[in-house]
Amino acid sequence: MMRYFKLVNFELGRFFKLYGVIIGITILSQLVGLWVVSNSYMERANYAMFEENLSPAQFVSDNGEMSLLVLTRTLWFLGPIALGAIALLFNIFFVWYRDWFGKNTFIYRLLMLPTARINVYLAKATSILLMVLGLVAIQIVLLPVESVLLKWLVTRDFRLDLAPAEVVSGFRELMIILPAGIIDFILAYGAGIMVIFILFTAILFERSYRIKGIVFGAIYVALATGIFLSPIILEGIIGTNYLYPMELLVLEIILGLIVSAASIWVANYLLTKRITV
Amino acid sequence: MIEVKDIKKKFGRKQVLNGVSFTANKGEITCLIGINGVGKTTILNAIMALTPVNSGEILLDGQKVTKQSFEKITFIPDAITMIPQMTIAEAMEFMDDYYDSWNQNRATELLGFFKLKQEDKISSLSKGNTAKVNLLLGLALDVDYILMDEPFSGIDIFSREQIADVFTSHLIEGRGVIITTHEISDIEHLIDKVVLLDEGIVLKEFNSEEVRESEGKSVVDVMREVYKA
Repeated sequence: MMRYFKLVNFELGRFFKLYGVIIGITILSQLVGLWVVSNSYMERANYAMFEENLSPAQFVSDNGEMSLLVLTRTLWFLGPIALGAIALLFNIFFVWYRDWFGKNTFIYRLLMLPTARINVYLAKATSILLMVLGLVAIQIVLLPVESVLLKWLVTRDFRLDLAPAEVVSGFRELMIILPAGIIDFILAYGAGIMVIFILFTAILFERSYRIKGIVFGAIYVALATGIFLSPIILEGIIGTNYLYPMELLVLEIILGLIVSAASIWVANYLLTKRITV
Repeated sequence: MIEVKDIKKKFGRKQVLNGVSFTANKGEITCLIGINGVGKTTILNAIMALTPVNSGEILLDGQKVTKQSFEKITFIPDAITMIPQMTIAEAMEFMDDYYDSWNQNRATELLGFFKLKQEDKISSLSKGNTAKVNLLLGLALDVDYILMDEPFSGIDIFSREQIADVFTSHLIEGRGVIITTHEISDIEHLIDKVVLLDEGIVLKEFNSEEVRESEGKSVVDVMREVYKA
């Protein structure tokens, strides 16, 4: 167990520089974006009031109020989130292939550690999950900070103050990243972990059987996804909602756990019996 | 004792190993000899469970290789097994973190022996010094068996001499070593046992000292006989 924690720490350390850059870009882009978007709004408001003699109420009625929701729909806000998502998705593959290719053959060392090889797999998955949660935590901290900044940048007449939860619920895509309740959180991140396990296992198929492994990996991904989505697919074929939403939810959770456990089991088999350096 | 029993291995349609069997004893240096592509590295990988075999069995002191075995046996491949961005000190720290068998005193001794600086980054080292770091990381483990894949390939004459000196030192004494090479000259006088491989099979397995005494032949003489036959 101790070696698993050490491996998690080690894997986090290896991605830390790039991760730091992503965090830096996220903070900088959102804060600069807020400043730019707010200033541009106020410039338009001032122009309308002084040049067109509109009252603040008339301007707001024509242009809407300035709130954090306006920021969330700009590239300043969405760009770094997309960048983080792409980087972490890329890392799912990079976290394995960098140990095989390039100047080093670090995979030899990882596979020769006196610990169960599945710990390497679990540590790599954990490090990705922790990095995702880290980015989410930064977003949770950033929203109230941005809320305060907005109060400095935009006068009361033009501003709509929203609580961070209201910002999130006003923006559908953000709700996936920052779910409203604990159940939603577990579902969104549980599904995310399952996807990491499925992809990791597919990568290990490729690393074990090479070209044939790509086919095996693709079949595995299709099979795992099919099993997980089978109730929804079946309902689609039957054409009726056979299950109550709660039943469907429980069934999906059970299937998600089965698919995740199966992925770990298959990965363990591949790592101990089939892997080739 | 390491026992390799009738192992077979195919890469695609090519039968690389076609029933290879030999043993390597503790306290002896066993040398696997054969031309490039004959399957020497594959045998070492298979012993360390780094590649599967299609059939056959490999035993380490009568047991199959498990995670616990890696405190008992180590493998020094021909490429560095650490992250190049690490310094030598960080690499040693990594080994100390994960291996109970890591012997820091011996590692420090090896640093001096190879004249390496622990603050140097692995990526900044010459090929010879990188090979020495690789050797250091393996030899500083208190393990019974060491596998080495082509430790002399592509490095300068002085580094080769330094590495060859390791074999006559207490750093190797008492341990079982399997070494692969296609150039025998550097270590001919050091090896106890020779396994000659070709086309996926063992052509001959012999004790070099015995052959020298009873037939008056060197390892190279026997190789000439076997490979030219």
